[in-house]
Amino acid sequence: MLVEWMMNGHAILYTGVTLAFWSTILVVGICYTIFDLGFRFDVAWFLTETSPFMWANLGIGLAISLSVVGAAWGIYITGSSIIGGGVKAPRIKTKNLVSIIFCEAVAIYGIIMAIVISNMAENFSGTTPETIGARNYQAGYSMFGAGLTVGFSNLFCGICVGIVGSGAALADAQNANLFVKILIVEIFGSAIGLFGVIVAILQTSKVKMGD
Amino acid sequence: MATRKMRLFSSISASFAVLFTLLNTGRCDEQVPLMLWTSEGTSLPSQSPPAAGHIVGRDQLDAYLHTALGSGPRNVLLFLQDKMSIEDFTIYGGAFGNKQDSAFRNLEGALLSSPSPLVLPAVSWPGSNAVIGALQDQLETSPLYMDAETLGQLRLNSSSPALLVFRLPYGTGSDLMSAKEILSGNDEVIGQVLSIMKTQSVPYLAIYTALQPSQVRLPRSDEFGRVHGGKAVKCYSNVWFFSLPFHLLPRLLLVRLVLNYEDVLGHRNFKLIFAMSQRHYSVSARRWFTMDQVELEYDGTKATFNGSRSIYAPAEYSYRCDAVSSFRWPSLFPRSAKDPANQWRVSFEDFQIQGFNVSGQDFSYASDCAGFFTPGIWMGLMSSLLMVLVLTYGLHMIMQLRTMDRFDDPKGPAISVPLTE
Repeated sequence: MLVEWMMNGHAILYTGVTLAFWSTILVVGICYTIFDLGFRFDVAWFLTETSPFMWANLGIGLAISLSVVGAAWGIYITGSSIIGGGVKAPRIKTKNLVSIIFCEAVAIYGIIMAIVISNMAENFSGTTPETIGARNYQAGYSMFGAGLTVGFSNLFCGICVGIVGSGAALADAQNANLFVKILIVEIFGSAIGLFGVIVAILQTSKVKMGD
Repeated sequence: MATRKMRLFSSISASFAVLFTLLNTGRCDEQVPLMLWTSEGTSLPSQSPPAAGHIVGRDQLDAYLHTALGSGPRNVLLFLQDKMSIEDFTIYGGAFGNKQDSAFRNLEGALLSSPSPLVLPAVSWPGSNAVIGALQDQLETSPLYMDAETLGQLRLNSSSPALLVFRLPYGTGSDLMSAKEILSGNDEVIGQVLSIMKTQSVPYLAIYTALQPSQVRLPRSDEFGRVHGGKAVKCYSNVWFFSLPFHLLPRLLLVRLVLNYEDVLGHRNFKLIFAMSQRHYSVSARRWFTMDQVELEYDGTKATFNGSRSIYAPAEYSYRCDAVSSFRWPSLFPRSAKDPANQWRVSFEDFQIQGFNVSGQDFSYASDCAGFFTPGIWMGLMSSLLMVLVLTYGLHMIMQLRTMDRFDDPKGPAISVPLTE
């Protein structure tokens, strides 16, 4: 039975990755401790030596890609239900496109934020932590944070709207009166994506990269 | 005031031995230490203590005294011991963690509580011998030889100058026990005199020195001080410890490594000075040292490079870097735009330095400036890790795709799609 369980591709993949990760951490930690080189573990060095551009661009990339994942997932769930339900009840096709549009809105939030954030990235001439300056570091980290904010909130918003929309389509196929009420649930689900956008705008409002 | 205390301790070099070199070939057991302090409440203009290993000559001593007496109190207490050397403080001063056995408690207390103490660890002894004469000239009064009892009967005036000399004995030096008792006795006398002065509340300037150096020598190797990668320079100078228990270590320790060269680039005297400091940093809960400045002194000009705090290592270790320079991936920057350092390009290759915790002739563990991973490697690792996570997630999703097989009937007829219609 263990062999059967191990034959599962998921199990092999996740076991392998987890094992590799934790054993690396353990071995590295033990070596640092044995050789009294704990002082070399320097988070501040990592945060000041890595370029603010890396953080900024990771934020931009995550903003658009996580939003698109959310939108795609939502559309795939909702779309399959609408198409499936539409086989027996063709009247639902037109009305339920609203769910698809709610999902798509999430992707639009993502791309707008990605463009807004990427416009804030400017060139600066410092090369060392002192010459780069606090403002550029703040810019890099803010952009990273804003990208994460908008990306993850749109991800879950898209999934939420997708699942609710799928339920709405199937319920509508059974009974046409149900659709309007379920739409209200979808609106609530869509609002949380908007929250993410607002917070991301607040995070990047003070960003000023450059010299 | 706290900074002066710390400078005092830095000059007494608490808990470290300074690795220094000196091209001065004078014999190093002919110096006498001199300690100078004022009563509480009076402070003198701050004077920079001499560089480690520097022997203060007669003229320089006169200059120190002139500054001290010019603006300071006019009553001078001179504790003149027959013989003294810095090794007395090393051996009997509780320098090896045994502070309770220290024979200099009153002296330490006075130096600690004084607002402007000055310690000259090495005064050439003709100068210290003549200190009475120098004080006499500067105060324009003749010395009064006293002891603790006669002091109690004297009424002192803060405006009229007075030079009170207390002669303190010193043993023959060969019997360690008796030397310690004598030094403790002298310390008691100092304590009594200072407390009498305190009751009279007259501001005073106190000096503790000796007529001759004592002959106590610690057994140690003669050659001391190596310039890594350069010419070895011999020195018989003193290495002195005034060790403090860890919780009493001062917050800031400053050290200067001075290399004297002759006839360099057409300059007769050329000095290369590395200024290092050590502090306790609370976030990492350990002491680190930084090389704050590199100074070039020649012909009276001083070119200063700031170490920009990129040259640092834990206080117990040495710092080693493949290249420390001011022009290629610079870590040394001129102190200001007008500094003479702007006319220099400094580059050290295979540079290793240690300012604290020096024991023996070897460097401690070398904390290298280059870590295992460079910043670029870390950035690449972070982005790669993110992409690996994305890949993992994608793989997970693809692997859980199933084809629709609810209506599959393996035994039924195969589906045929006719070409026509």
